[in-house]
Amino acid sequence: MLIAILRRVGLSLIIICLVAVLVFLATEVLPGDALDVFLTSDDLMTMEAEDIEALRHEYGLDKPAVERFWQWFSGVVVGDFGVTFIDKTPVSDVIWDPLLNSLLLATVITLIAIPVALAIGILTGYYRGRKADSMVSSLAIIGYSIPDFVIGTLLIMFFAVWIPIFPALILVFADASVLELLKVSLMPAVTVIIGHVAHLSRLLRVGFIEAMNCEFVERARLSGIPEKRIVFRHALPASVIPSLNSMALFIGNLLSGLIVIEKVFGYPGLGLQLLEAVDKREVHVVQAVTFLGAVLVIGMNLLADLAIIILDPRVRSHKHE
Amino acid sequence: MSNKSVLDVLTHSPGTSIGVFLVAIHLLSALFGFLFVPYGPTELAGVSLLAPGSPGFSLGTDVIGRDYLTRLVLGGRTSIFVAMLGVMIAVVSGGLIGVSAAYIGGFYDDVIMRLVDIKLSIPGILFVALCVVGFGRSIPVLTIVIAINYMPGALRIIRSQAMTQVPLDYVKSARLRGDSKLSVIVRELCPNVLEVVVVEFAIRTSSAILAVSALSFLGLGISPPTPDWGLMVYEGIQQIYFAPWLVLFPAFLISTLVIGLNFATDGLANALGLDAARGLD
Amino acid sequence: MPLAWMPLEALTEEIMDLLNVKNLSVGYYDRFKQIVPAVNDVSFQLQQGETLGIVGESGCGKSTLARALMGYCRPGSLIMDGEVRINNLNILQMNSLELLKLRGERIAMVPQNPLSSLTYHIKVGPQVDEILRIHQGMDSRSARNHTLELFSGTNLTDPELIYDRYPHEISGGQRQRVVIAGALACQPAIMILDEPTTALDTTTEMQVLQLVKELRKKRNMALVYITHDLTLTDYICEDVLVMLNGSVVEKGSVKRIFKVPQTDYAKMLISSIPRVDSENGSSSFRLLVPDREPLLSVKNLKFRYGRHGSLFATFKPKKEPFVVNNVSFDLERSETVGLVGESGSGKSTIANIICGLLSATSGDINFDRQSINKAGEKRSLDLRRRIQIIFQDPLSSLNPRHRIETILSRPLKIFFGLKGRVARDRMVELLESMELVPDHLSRFPRQLSGGQQQRIAIACAFAAKPDLILCDEVTSALDVSVQAKVLELLKAIQTKTGVACVFISHDLGVVKQVANRVIVLQKGVVAEAGFTKDVFAKPKDEYTQLLLAAASRQNDAPIPIHNLGDIQI
Repeated sequence: MLIAILRRVGLSLIIICLVAVLVFLATEVLPGDALDVFLTSDDLMTMEAEDIEALRHEYGLDKPAVERFWQWFSGVVVGDFGVTFIDKTPVSDVIWDPLLNSLLLATVITLIAIPVALAIGILTGYYRGRKADSMVSSLAIIGYSIPDFVIGTLLIMFFAVWIPIFPALILVFADASVLELLKVSLMPAVTVIIGHVAHLSRLLRVGFIEAMNCEFVERARLSGIPEKRIVFRHALPASVIPSLNSMALFIGNLLSGLIVIEKVFGYPGLGLQLLEAVDKREVHVVQAVTFLGAVLVIGMNLLADLAIIILDPRVRSHKHE
Repeated sequence: MSNKSVLDVLTHSPGTSIGVFLVAIHLLSALFGFLFVPYGPTELAGVSLLAPGSPGFSLGTDVIGRDYLTRLVLGGRTSIFVAMLGVMIAVVSGGLIGVSAAYIGGFYDDVIMRLVDIKLSIPGILFVALCVVGFGRSIPVLTIVIAINYMPGALRIIRSQAMTQVPLDYVKSARLRGDSKLSVIVRELCPNVLEVVVVEFAIRTSSAILAVSALSFLGLGISPPTPDWGLMVYEGIQQIYFAPWLVLFPAFLISTLVIGLNFATDGLANALGLDAARGLD
Repeated sequence: MPLAWMPLEALTEEIMDLLNVKNLSVGYYDRFKQIVPAVNDVSFQLQQGETLGIVGESGCGKSTLARALMGYCRPGSLIMDGEVRINNLNILQMNSLELLKLRGERIAMVPQNPLSSLTYHIKVGPQVDEILRIHQGMDSRSARNHTLELFSGTNLTDPELIYDRYPHEISGGQRQRVVIAGALACQPAIMILDEPTTALDTTTEMQVLQLVKELRKKRNMALVYITHDLTLTDYICEDVLVMLNGSVVEKGSVKRIFKVPQTDYAKMLISSIPRVDSENGSSSFRLLVPDREPLLSVKNLKFRYGRHGSLFATFKPKKEPFVVNNVSFDLERSETVGLVGESGSGKSTIANIICGLLSATSGDINFDRQSINKAGEKRSLDLRRRIQIIFQDPLSSLNPRHRIETILSRPLKIFFGLKGRVARDRMVELLESMELVPDHLSRFPRQLSGGQQQRIAIACAFAAKPDLILCDEVTSALDVSVQAKVLELLKAIQTKTGVACVFISHDLGVVKQVANRVIVLQKGVVAEAGFTKDVFAKPKDEYTQLLLAAASRQNDAPIPIHNLGDIQI
């Protein structure tokens, strides 16, 4: 088991390194370098060639790409993502508070979404084919078909414009206290949950139906084991274990899903920071956010796989082979 | 399965029929809508912010006086085009690479699957943001980004379907006859992953339409003044107190399009005996 | 309301039947929500201590019937009509609580596939405990002790060890014993076994059957034994029901049905069984003609799987054991050699090496005086044509997306460059030799029956006009009656064309029918080789004796207990 875990962790580390290469390639090597990206065509027209060269030298961009990558990546490993072009603040300072805020929102959403999705998935899976099931399934399709920004905007319209119980725009600073943030995170959280619980619960429903169709469920039934026990002791673990990966994917992608929500509500999170950086063409901030987003996905996948290694005896004893 | 008629699939269930109906209307309006609209999409034809029902402007005008009906009718075609073309490239190239990886296996397969892992660990919107910063914001870039974004996931699903076929005896027979790798992949394997490819195309198109409109909403996708529903919702939010219809109409249209697509896909997948309700990566 | 069961002693004096099934019909819903009957108007009685076999080919409704006997239907099916009475109580009218009490306590089931029938994430011991705790209200300690007793009662060696294993960690035979122990837990009066040995090897199957027989005698249970194999009922049952398309076509004592079958179907079933103790051997196949040079000669063949290094594999390469170890044999022209052995004996690997799907680790294979050690890709077109292989599963060997015409035309085009009219004539000729009609050319494989599919696969192999045919378990996926037909056609075309054949099968009866010589393989090593007649009449090797005894289902078969499957580690 230990070998399997180490192997899996090692693979994740390799993938993180390769993602770093890809992120660097897409922003600094293929389009030229960071300065080429940062400067607009207007800048290029008004600036002298020597000035640009001087800037290039100042930022160390005249070195070869491999060396620049190494410099960047060795900083990343210790949490140093470079500085911004405009006011030269460290990128880590710029993204730290928004990152925490986004993680807070993501945690709130996860804590509500996963149990709710699980409950809906099991109930509809158990009563599959009934009217209620097909109704919930249709609602789920509608739920995940409506874009997040539409759900968010509609919520604002109902609860801020027509019945003004919430503010239409969140006016909280990035370094606000947790309590303040929790208060304003309700509407964003509800928005994500409406759209994404629908999808997650459909996945869990399918997994549960598969588990209930297994022969061991039939054997348990024919041995006179009560239905409740069959569901919770036999079928549920068998359906949750393979679904762990979907759940991990859900959490891992939350961060990027939040970008839209943060934009709709003006929630001071990483997504808003990213959009601002894209606007200002702050390459290093975009690099950092993308890299962190990927690390989160890789990390969640790793956790799910490790959980499966620990929970599924068939995978666990893979070492025997 | 293969002898089921198209009509059977389309009328699989009431949900499917509604879905197909919605998709058909949207496609027709995206294709031929420009023939019927009263003004040009960017023409300043009236005064700012006319309410629906104003003379000459049945759905009013937007904040700078463009005809809202015109912009609504034309607001879907760009994102539909970008999404469909991008996903088409993704599914076809991903399919060919996936099937060949499944058949050839070994080192080739390993390298491809690691590349897939890398791409799949970068969340879609972040990947687009990265590319927009690196390569600028334009329709070709957006299409290619959509293609690259959806390719690895499609590749993985199609590869795993092909993997169920590779150990089968008909593939062994073809090898023993001396068929070339290309011939086995194209003649023997590809026809057997066709259903999965079709469903992948359908699922991913609806997801891509959502993605493109979300990107436009964020200012990373289609740029103004091209009419686009995602963009129009964003522009409408500023006027949400005075002119809520500016948000409601495009929101309604984009939602019905994706709802229709997903219902149709669900029916299609059911009819083909596949499962549409799984995670998109 | 607690159910008042008759005390056991009273039962024997009562005239009522233990199990009485009256006009039972079960149907399932098809695609158009119409009810299609799967079991049709079945009636029978069963008394304490009796054994009843239910026999039929796949899809005849026997498993559906078995489940209905416990008042259970799979989702999508329903009991349409009839009664199932146990001690005169109609279980089809019971509420769900009463049914829970009944199942596992009065009537228990041993399902077909022990691996998928045990919950994979729970250890096997606790899965039996669970039944005891629920039905008998035992605490966990006494349940555990009782389970251990049950395990030793089913001849599981080292019950303590097995108790803490997960289902995938024990062998197939052990799993089936665990499932049987679970079924026995509450001492049911009736035990239903649904093809309990299909997933097992011949020798393991025999051990499990012996166990079932002993347990039945010891506990005086009534037994319902569901199988597709008529000979099994001969071994284990007194009476038998023969089912066809959901209806009972014949019932009576096993002995009587074997001696004087009354319906055509029963007669056909019995005559189709390839028996190891039958009189006629393979004399109908071409007798051995002394030839100057063998067509195929295999010398000291060894094979083991190499570990293909994955890109990120952190394991050190470990040497795999030999799957085929030092196997040598010759094959004359027009001769048929049978390769016999259980799964894992390496018989299919040998076929794969000869046809070029795998490369031998060491050893020499000569075909018509040329060495064919090379893997398939490097062989010449002519060589590829001359050696053809037919696989076990016909559906898998035909591309589901191609019409039969496309499938058959490939070898004709590649090996002979035939096209158009000429090719079509040849295809029709091939189909006719397999007693198929030209109509079949436009069909897809799925639109044909299993037997027809396999006949297409045979036609496809013979389309190449080969000199050597490798038949890898070609009839194992087929029903008995279909198997007989396919074998007959295969024999006919082989006699006509004079092709040599390596016939691989786990079924000794089939091999006896077709092969002049037979090679018995055990774990990759030749256990015994010789003329079929001699080997079957006087087996010298212990393992061959074991296989033969198992195949003929002799009551006094010498099955050593120590031969139980080892715990897989």
